Amino acid sequence: MRWLPAFLSAALLAAPSLAAKKSAEERFTAFHTKSLSSTPVKLRDNTYRELTGAPRDYTAAVLLTAMDARFGCQLCREFQPEWDLLSRSWTNGDKAGESRLVFGTLDFSDGRDVFMSLGLQTAPILLLFPPTVGPHAAASPEPIRYDFTNGPQTAEQIHSWVARHLADRPHPPIKRPFNWMRWISTFVVLSGGLTASFVAWPYVLPVIQSRSVWAAITLISILLFTSGHMFNHIRNVPYVAGDGRGGVSYFASGFQNQYGLETQIVAAIYGVLALSGISLAIKVPRMTDPRAQGIAIFAWGGILFLVYSFLLSVFRGKNAGYPFSLPPFM
Amino acid sequence: MKTTAVLSALLSVLSLASAASSDKKSSSTSTTLPATFRPPQVFKNANLVHVVSVEKNYVKENINVVIENIDKAAHDEYFVPFTADQLSRLGGVEVKDRKDAAAGPFVAEAAQFDQESDIQYLRIRLPQPLASGAQQTLGISYYLLKAYVPLPAAIKQEEQQFLSYSFSAYCPSAYTTTKQKTEVKFPSTNFPDYTKLPGSGAVQEFPTKQGSKLIYGPFDEKPAGAIQPVSVRFEFNKPVNHVSRLERDIEVSHWGGNVAFEERYALYHRGANLSSLFNRVKWQQSQYYSPTSFALKEMKFPLRVGSEDPYYYDVIGNISTSRFRSNKREALLEIKPRYPIFGGWKFPFTIGWNSDAKNFLRRAAGGGFVLNVPFLEGPRQPEGVEYEQVEVRVILPEGAENVKYQTSIPTTSITSADVEIHKTFLDTIGRTALIIKARNLVDDLRDRELIVSYDLPLMARLRKPLIVFGSSMALLVGALVMGKLEFKFDSRK
Amino acid sequence: MSADPLQALASAGKGENTRSLLRFIILALIAGAAIASRLFSVIRFESIIHEFDPWFNFRATKYLVANGFYNFWDWFDDRTWHPLGRVTGGTLYPGLMVTSGIIYHALRALAIPVDIRNICVLLAPAFSGLTAIAAYLLTNEMTPNSSAGLLAALFMGIAPGYISRSVAGSYDNEAIAIFLLVFTFYLWIKALKQGSMLWGALCALFYGYMVASWGGYAFITCLLPLHAFVLICMGRYSTRLYVSYTTWYALGTLASMQIPFVGFLPVKTSEHMPALGIFGFLQLLAFLDYIRSAIPGRQFQTFLWLFAGGTFGLGLLGLVLATSAGVIAPWGGRFYSLWDTSYAKIHIPIIASVSEHQPTAWPAFFFDLNMLIWLFPVGVYLCFQELADEHVFIVVYALFGSYFAGVMVRLMLTLTPVVCVAAAIAVSTLLDTYLSAKSPSPPPAHAADGGEGAGKKAAKAGLKSTTKPVVGIYGLWGKGMMVGAMAVYLLLFVLHCTWVTSNAYSSPSVVLASKMPDGSQHIIDDYREAYQWLRQNTREDAKIMSWWDYGYQIGGMADRPTLVDNNTWNNTHIATVGKAMSSSEEVSYPIMRQHEVDYVLVVFGGLLGYSGDDINKFLWMVRIAEGIWPDEVSERAFFTPRGEYRVDGEATDAMKNSLMYKMSYYNYNNLFPPGQAMDRMRNARLPEVGPTLSTIEEAFTSENWIIRIYKVKDLDNLGRDHMSAAAFDRGSKKKKAAKKRGPRQLRVD
Repeated sequence: MRWLPAFLSAALLAAPSLAAKKSAEERFTAFHTKSLSSTPVKLRDNTYRELTGAPRDYTAAVLLTAMDARFGCQLCREFQPEWDLLSRSWTNGDKAGESRLVFGTLDFSDGRDVFMSLGLQTAPILLLFPPTVGPHAAASPEPIRYDFTNGPQTAEQIHSWVARHLADRPHPPIKRPFNWMRWISTFVVLSGGLTASFVAWPYVLPVIQSRSVWAAITLISILLFTSGHMFNHIRNVPYVAGDGRGGVSYFASGFQNQYGLETQIVAAIYGVLALSGISLAIKVPRMTDPRAQGIAIFAWGGILFLVYSFLLSVFRGKNAGYPFSLPPFM
Repeated sequence: MKTTAVLSALLSVLSLASAASSDKKSSSTSTTLPATFRPPQVFKNANLVHVVSVEKNYVKENINVVIENIDKAAHDEYFVPFTADQLSRLGGVEVKDRKDAAAGPFVAEAAQFDQESDIQYLRIRLPQPLASGAQQTLGISYYLLKAYVPLPAAIKQEEQQFLSYSFSAYCPSAYTTTKQKTEVKFPSTNFPDYTKLPGSGAVQEFPTKQGSKLIYGPFDEKPAGAIQPVSVRFEFNKPVNHVSRLERDIEVSHWGGNVAFEERYALYHRGANLSSLFNRVKWQQSQYYSPTSFALKEMKFPLRVGSEDPYYYDVIGNISTSRFRSNKREALLEIKPRYPIFGGWKFPFTIGWNSDAKNFLRRAAGGGFVLNVPFLEGPRQPEGVEYEQVEVRVILPEGAENVKYQTSIPTTSITSADVEIHKTFLDTIGRTALIIKARNLVDDLRDRELIVSYDLPLMARLRKPLIVFGSSMALLVGALVMGKLEFKFDSRK
Repeated sequence: MSADPLQALASAGKGENTRSLLRFIILALIAGAAIASRLFSVIRFESIIHEFDPWFNFRATKYLVANGFYNFWDWFDDRTWHPLGRVTGGTLYPGLMVTSGIIYHALRALAIPVDIRNICVLLAPAFSGLTAIAAYLLTNEMTPNSSAGLLAALFMGIAPGYISRSVAGSYDNEAIAIFLLVFTFYLWIKALKQGSMLWGALCALFYGYMVASWGGYAFITCLLPLHAFVLICMGRYSTRLYVSYTTWYALGTLASMQIPFVGFLPVKTSEHMPALGIFGFLQLLAFLDYIRSAIPGRQFQTFLWLFAGGTFGLGLLGLVLATSAGVIAPWGGRFYSLWDTSYAKIHIPIIASVSEHQPTAWPAFFFDLNMLIWLFPVGVYLCFQELADEHVFIVVYALFGSYFAGVMVRLMLTLTPVVCVAAAIAVSTLLDTYLSAKSPSPPPAHAADGGEGAGKKAAKAGLKSTTKPVVGIYGLWGKGMMVGAMAVYLLLFVLHCTWVTSNAYSSPSVVLASKMPDGSQHIIDDYREAYQWLRQNTREDAKIMSWWDYGYQIGGMADRPTLVDNNTWNNTHIATVGKAMSSSEEVSYPIMRQHEVDYVLVVFGGLLGYSGDDINKFLWMVRIAEGIWPDEVSERAFFTPRGEYRVDGEATDAMKNSLMYKMSYYNYNNLFPPGQAMDRMRNARLPEVGPTLSTIEEAFTSENWIIRIYKVKDLDNLGRDHMSAAAFDRGSKKKKAAKKRGPRQLRVD
């Protein structure tokens, strides 16, 4: 699968010389046939110019991307499969090419000059070149630009965007390939799990029924939630951030934001506090040895006090002007 | 409009006797003149001086006239003509004898006859009939509200406001006038336009200008009902405050030893509108450079000394822009509206304050109580304030009876007065409320007093505490019973 | 035990009456404290309705009081969502208004004519007092010793997490809903413990009340079945469970369907399916139970249980299928966004734009719950000791409550009660342990004594930590130390709560307070200044266009029709306003004409440095508009090429030409010496020449420029388009043009 586009693009190298004096119609058929065999058409500088050159009586959707690991373009890599899927299902859905739309991909490594000429700093960028002649001719030959401002997009979203600009033309729907692998694997896993559970039932049962396990699960999840884990999950905040002076700042400044590590620290603090509280409430009064008990009280009480005062100081850091504090972290 | 005006004018006279007197009784005794009424030509105005003062945002007119009985018989009815429209805007009519002030205000009432006619008459009853050939000097003074039209009707925020007023150079009279002149007093010397009339005798053109005064006349003999319309236009760069309705509650509480005042104003600026909409930048700059403007920015309420905890709010809550200076000598409440009020803008608001009862209330000799409060307070503004409708409600304690009132407000202005029941906090039978409706008042009449006398039997005074005590007891018992019930409910399971 | 604190002592030991009296008094005091701590805003400012939604509730209440219940029930409000209007009676939760309406009339009947506004303002504090009591009752169901109950009541009374939505003046559904929530839970536990139909019916009754009051009733609708399900899974099926649950479900559902806004949702939408499913499942179980009792035989029973499980699975499958087939409506947007947390951000920007729908960062938790947040797990753990049915409830509630609170700031509200209960259990256990005067005799002593009676039972129960019997505390100083420490923590808690309440939660955002140089308080009242101006000096039916945040306030204070308001039921309409605000005059003028807009109102904080202004909310308007007209509005166009959101000279053209920008900064630069114009909010230096307006004109600007009102011009009566007309006026000041607009905007009466 992968090697096919590369090969074809290699084959394309011959094209441009004669392409120059091809008419729009011919160019479209050429690219369309190419795309039928493999889409999106992998472009290079020259083929890009040929495809997008005016006059054209067809629409060209070109994704300018930078797949190479060097550029570390996360977004590009995330979006690429969706893009392939979109173009594939569109082209298959419209073999006759009534929608007169050609999908192309231009990677930075193949098309430096284009990137330069367009003055692009960011990738990926999706350009939709409206036809300049023919029935669907648009007012301005300038391409319509799609910026991935809010994250990676699904094929459906792009599809709707493209379809919007291709009024009164067929819009072949997206066909997500049926993922056999996934289903088989899930089935296998499920059945395996079932049998395993049947075999291991006598051993598993006590674990399931053990109160301590459930208590542990409950407490841990409570600690996670109350220490703002969901916030990290939703806002995908950075784990830690460096402060200006090259050090690492564990606590985000400001009331409304936080780091991943920060929440874990807080969860730990809560955990320690809760633990000491539990042991003071349950363990200690059950100790039969007075001295040991005294020490335990002292230890747990001390920890409680210290950690709580630390928590307060941390909170003061988050919320300037919070007046309360406990020694020693005044 | 006219009916109510005339009717009520009559009413007010009689209501003096007893506030409780009902409308029917009074109207039955009112004199109805035939539709084709012409005042009998029994008087002539020997000499008449008509002073029109437009210094404030209402017109104050003063007619000093020497009347002479030219009939054989003695007569005691002198008629003054007004247009129906004037009559509806007429207020505070007072007639005195210029020679002896002791004669007190004469009874003046709107004579009731054909409502359709455009000429209505104000009938003045002389205390004793004027003998044939005898002379008497009357001083008739009254106010006209809503008298001006801004000209131009719409100006810019920073421009000067001009008003115009139209009246008759010849004082309208039902009798022949031998000699008269009309004098107009302006707030400033800036009155660019006024109607010019051909002169007579020494002066070749009327009016003659004296500082901030214009004088039309003296004119020679004019027949009855002679009219010479003229109009003047003058600078009036102050707000034209018009209170279309003022509700003034005065609540007397014997237990609290407190008199509570609350006034609800429907304020409206009758001056020139803004030709281009309000511009905050210009406003802030003008505040800085030239503070005088025809917009209303502030009002000062000089309250009675000893007034305390005032409040000031409007329909959407408290207004923080108010200051209250209270000390031995004065209690001055200064309030700012939420926004500067330009022509055509409205600003309804409510103010209120408390005062110790002993400032107003004292025991009468006869065992009852006597309440003496100002009939009208409200702002003291250099440009003046006019009140179209005024409703004063004196809310007396529960069970107060045999309520009488007296006021020094001109009786023509009082349209109705009756006693009603007002129910409020923890009332069983409701409080006695004396409701006096008046119209066309102006702020000259501030501090005219209102004297209310009433009786309050001991039982009535004891009712409230007893009621409260009893109900709370009942509540307690009820609670106990509830508790009992719950015990049962509980033990049943 | 019964609902009355007076009988909480019915089971206790000696000195009962005095104790009960004490308890009663303490409870009363706690309720008093709960109310008092919510009155900051009334004392500092005045008795005024706060923020945004309360203004609608207030308006609706006034309508109810004025026009009676039935008119309120089918109230069609044509003064909002012009020109669509809103079937208000059918699209609101009437519980709040009806409650205050009843109170109002009751007081009238007692010859205490209290102003309806004051009732609305003080409703929330009053109900918070009741909530404290409800918390006391609920906790009493959890542990035998009522000191925990009192502590819970105290926590509930002053915990900022609850105060945040129930200060005097925040007249919102939550004001009564939280009381109903807690009390319904109490009744549920009661019913479950006694298996009594009466309590079940009561529970259903209050559930109905809750449904009538707050959309959050879905929380109960999902929590109770979940509790039942967990109990079943723990093999704790019992007739008690059957009776209480079926009673609650049957009656409760009927009750909830009486509310027009809810209607048939309980049998149509997914939120309500768990309840229905568990209901059916319980029937099945009851049946099986009966059969099992009739037919002995080991395998047969296992078969039965398998059968039960099978049917359950099938039922679940069927549910899924029905949902996917569309027979059952899928989860509602707001509700669904709780599970798929990124759902709202992509699909419903309006929901995402509301600040209280944001996820909760950890400081918020600590801010709202202080030390309760770490006592919470302790209490939950204690519930594991003796894991009776009611404790299971606490555990389940704790788990889900904390999850929801983590996802949405607003749901901190539903978490707070369980936190208070759990923390109270923890604290009371600690105190009981360390406050017991008598110390055990030295070892080996098995003084089976001590704080919680759980000890002995716990010995045979599952928790490893509680296998050994409770001995007690030997050392006095140890006790002293712990008690002292706890005292300090509690004191700190009270201080914290008071501080938070007075600083964070007691400002009625309608009125802003600022400090004068001399320390005296200066009130910034621009909102009401402008609203009053609108109310007095514009036509009765002048349509006001503003961003939806201010819709309710305009309706309530200015009493003028609005295009959109905070009941964001019609996304398209809101997007229309967003488009009008974010497009250039040429585009937005036709929109405004089509919607008969007379005035446009914007909030501008530039002069005062007021952060909650429209320029800061602008991006949301753009986004929401873009959601509907992706081709005409694009968020990208409002960012500079370097991806900054700027208002100064660098601002993009789309920004500079947008109506919102022009209205915000029109005439603003004339306040300053040339070139000095500063936006103090975004501290940006504004361009030398300010924007010019041609299709609208400034009508009013409040004292501190926070509110700016513009009048939409009529069609030019010389038939010119406004651009040229305005240009002409600017060029040579024609008196005529000014004259023409003069008289139209005053109200002659």
